[in-house]
Amino acid sequence: MTWIDFCWPVATGAGLAIGLVHLWIGVRGASGRANLLFALNAFLIATYSYTELRMIQAGNPAEYLARLRWLDLAAGTLTITLLLFVWSYFGTGRKWLGILGIACMGLSMTADLMPVPQLVFREFTGIHFVTTFGGATYPVAEGVPSPWNALFYLSVLLQLLFVADASITSWRRGDRQRAVVVGGTIVIFYLLGGLQAALVDIGVLKTPYLVTFIWLIILGAMAWELTRDLLRSAEISRELHDAQERMQLATTAVDLGVWEWDIDRDKFWITDTIRKRLGAGPAERVNFSRFLQSVHPDDREPTERAVRHALAAQDEFEVEYRSITAEGMTRAMATRGRVERRGNGQAHRVRGVSTDVTERKKAEAESYRQQADLAHVSRVSTMGQLAAALAHEINQPLAAILRNAEAAELFLQQDPPDYEELRAILADICKDDQRAGAVIDRMRLLLKRQYLEFTPVSLTDILDQVTMLVRGELQGRHVTLAVEQPGDLPPVRGDRVHLQQVLLNLIMNGLDAMEGRSAGAQQLTVQVRRSDEETVEVAVTDQGPGIPIDKLDLIFEAFFTTKSKGLGMGLAISKTIIESHGGRIWAENGAEGGATFRFTLKIADAGGAA
Amino acid sequence: MSETSPTVFVVDDDVSFQVSVARLLRASGFQVRTFSSATDFLAQRPPGSRGCVVTDLQMPGMTGIELQAALAESDNPLPILFLTGHGDIPTSVKAMRHGAEDFLTKRAPKEELLAAVQRALARDVQDQAERTRRHELRSRFSRLTPREREVLTHVLRGQLNKQIAADLGINERSVKRHRTSLMAKLQIQSVAELGQLAVQAGFSDR
Repeated sequence: MTWIDFCWPVATGAGLAIGLVHLWIGVRGASGRANLLFALNAFLIATYSYTELRMIQAGNPAEYLARLRWLDLAAGTLTITLLLFVWSYFGTGRKWLGILGIACMGLSMTADLMPVPQLVFREFTGIHFVTTFGGATYPVAEGVPSPWNALFYLSVLLQLLFVADASITSWRRGDRQRAVVVGGTIVIFYLLGGLQAALVDIGVLKTPYLVTFIWLIILGAMAWELTRDLLRSAEISRELHDAQERMQLATTAVDLGVWEWDIDRDKFWITDTIRKRLGAGPAERVNFSRFLQSVHPDDREPTERAVRHALAAQDEFEVEYRSITAEGMTRAMATRGRVERRGNGQAHRVRGVSTDVTERKKAEAESYRQQADLAHVSRVSTMGQLAAALAHEINQPLAAILRNAEAAELFLQQDPPDYEELRAILADICKDDQRAGAVIDRMRLLLKRQYLEFTPVSLTDILDQVTMLVRGELQGRHVTLAVEQPGDLPPVRGDRVHLQQVLLNLIMNGLDAMEGRSAGAQQLTVQVRRSDEETVEVAVTDQGPGIPIDKLDLIFEAFFTTKSKGLGMGLAISKTIIESHGGRIWAENGAEGGATFRFTLKIADAGGAA
Repeated sequence: MSETSPTVFVVDDDVSFQVSVARLLRASGFQVRTFSSATDFLAQRPPGSRGCVVTDLQMPGMTGIELQAALAESDNPLPILFLTGHGDIPTSVKAMRHGAEDFLTKRAPKEELLAAVQRALARDVQDQAERTRRHELRSRFSRLTPREREVLTHVLRGQLNKQIAADLGINERSVKRHRTSLMAKLQIQSVAELGQLAVQAGFSDR
C-alpha cells in the first residue's frame, strides 16, 4: 500500500460525493442545467481518477494500453463537459471557439477509440516501472508519439481560449468573482496540469500525472461558486419573501389589491386581497372574463370598454365600477392601471392596483345628500317668504274664473243666450286655470327635494320662471325687474331647480337690500352675458346701500346674515350650488351704491364632461 | 248712451280679471268701461262722467290708493270701490278713511260685489245732487255785495241791527235795507233758515 493507492481512491470518492450532491440539487431544479453539468463533471473526474488508478496498477503492457484508451476518453469527455459548463454557467464566450474546441476533441476521441493508431502512441513498445518518492512504483509507457496527440492538445488549447474569452467578457459585465474563481482556476490549472504532464513526459519529474488533482481543484472552485450562488439565491428568496410580506401587510392594511395582467396569455397575477374579493380559490386561474364576472352587470360593458380603450390608446388609466363580492355584496371599486407596450406599441402587460372605495363613496353621497337637503330647506324657506305674493298670483286667476263663471250663469239666463260671449268665457276660464296651475307647478318644482342633475338648460327659461315667481313680490315692493340678455344665449350645463334657487336667492336678497329705501321707482337688474367661449356670467344688481367693505368676504359664509328674518343660509347655499356647477360666485359694490352679485356657469357643449 | 249715464269704470292691470269683472257687471246690467292702469283711466275718462270706479289696489305705476287721492282732488270725484287679491288691514283702513265706498277681496261673493257697486252708484247720484245743490247755493251767496256779506256775518253771529250798525259805522236803517236785500238774494224768509243755508254752502266769515 503506497500513497498512490490512497490518494487516487480518495479523489474518486470526492468526485462521486460532490457529483451526487449536485445531481440532487440539479434535479431539484435550482439553476438546474449548471448543476447537472457540474455533477456530470464530478462523475467524470471520479471515473478518470478510478481509470488512472487502474492504469497505474496495470501488470502488463496490454492491460496498460487498454486502460490508457479509457483514461484518454474520460479526459476528453471531461474537457467537453467542463467547456459546456462554462458555456451554460457564464452565458458568454465566442460560440465558434467553443464549437471548434468540442469538434477537435471529438475527433481526437474517435482516434482514441480506433484500434490503430492510438491517440498517444503511434507505436507502443512496452512499459517500464519507475519508483517515485515514498517507494511507490508506477508504469511508464514507451513508444513513438502519435500525431493525433497534437490534435488533442490543440483542442485543449481552443477550449482554454474559449474559457478565457468567456471569463473576460463575464468580468467586463461585472461578474468578477465568478470570472476569477471559475475561469481563472480553469485556465491556471489547465496550464499547470499541462506543464506537469510535459515535465513527466520528458522525464524531468519522476511522478505519475497529477491531472486528477488539478481537476479536483477546478471542481472545488466550481463547487465554491455554485454553492455561493445557492446561498445567494436562498438569501434573495428570503429577502423577496420579506418584501412580499411587507407589501402584503401594507396592501392589506389599506385594503389595496395589487394585480398584474399578462395580456398575451390572458392571465392575472393577483394578491390575496383581490383573490378574496373575487372569491377565487388559491389555485384558481384568473383571466379577464373571470374578473368581469365579478363586476356588477350594469357596469360590465362600460368597464370593459374603458379597459379596451386604455389598452388601445392610454398608458395610464383609471376605472370606477361596482363589484359584486363573493358574499353577494355590492362594493364600489376604483382601479388604476399602467399599460406596458412592446416596441410596436402593442400592449402586453398591465400592472395596477384596485381599492375598495365604498366607504368613501358613501360618505360623499351622505354629504351630498345633506347638501341637497339643506338646499331644499332653504328653498322652502324662500318660498315661505314668497308665500303671500304667490298666493296673490294664484288668487288672481281664481278670481277671474269665479267672475267669469258668475257672468256665464247670467248670460245663460238671457233669451237667447249669448253663445259668442259664453264661448269666450269658457276659453278664458281654461286660460286662467292653466295660469294658476303653472304657478303651482313652479312652486312644486322648487319645493321638491331633488339632487343635482346636470343637463343643458336654457338660462332664459330659468330667468322667465323665476321672474314669474317673484312678480307678485316685486309689485308688492314697487320694484321693477329689468332683465338684459343677448338673444343668442347658448344653453348652460346645470340643474334647473338649483339654478332657479340661486337666482331666486339673489333677487330676494336684492329686494331685501332695497327695502325701506326712499320710495320712488326702484329697479333690480339681471344681466346675462357670455364672458368667454366656455362661460356665461349672470349679474344681479340692486340699488340698496351696498355691502360694507369688511363684510364682503363674510357674506358667503353659512349663518352670516344682516337681516332680522333670514336664516343666513341663502348665499352659502348659492355658493355651494354654483361651485358644484364648476362656476364661481362673488359680490362687489357699485361705484354709485348698490351691490352686484355675479356668478358664472359653463356652457353646455363647451365644458366637456356632461 | 249719453255721457252722463252712470258707468262702472274697472281699473286693473290683470287683463284677465278686468275682463271677467266687466263681463259680470255688464251681464248684471251695468254699463262698464275698462282700463289697464290708473293713469290711463285718469287721462281717458270723459269729463263729467258719472258712475263709480272699481279698482285693484296693487298695480304697477299708480296704485289704487294713489288713484283715490288723485280722484278726490279732481273736480269730478267718483265713489271708489277697491278689489284686492289679499285684504291687508292697514291699507283697507287707510282706504276707508279716505272715503272708499268699500274694500272687497277679488273673490268676494257676487252679491256683495254687485251690492257694493249698486251702493257706489247710488252714492254718486246722491253726491252729485248734493254737489249740484251746493253749487247752486254758492252761486246765490256769490251774488251778495261786500257790504251785504259783512251784514250777513254779523247776523249769523246773532247780533241785533243796532249792534251791527254800531260795528259797521252805518245807521240802523241801512242795516235793515241790506238784510232785506240779502234775504231776497238767498231766497229765504227766516234767520233760522239763513243759518242752515250758510252751513250747507260752506259759507264762513273768514
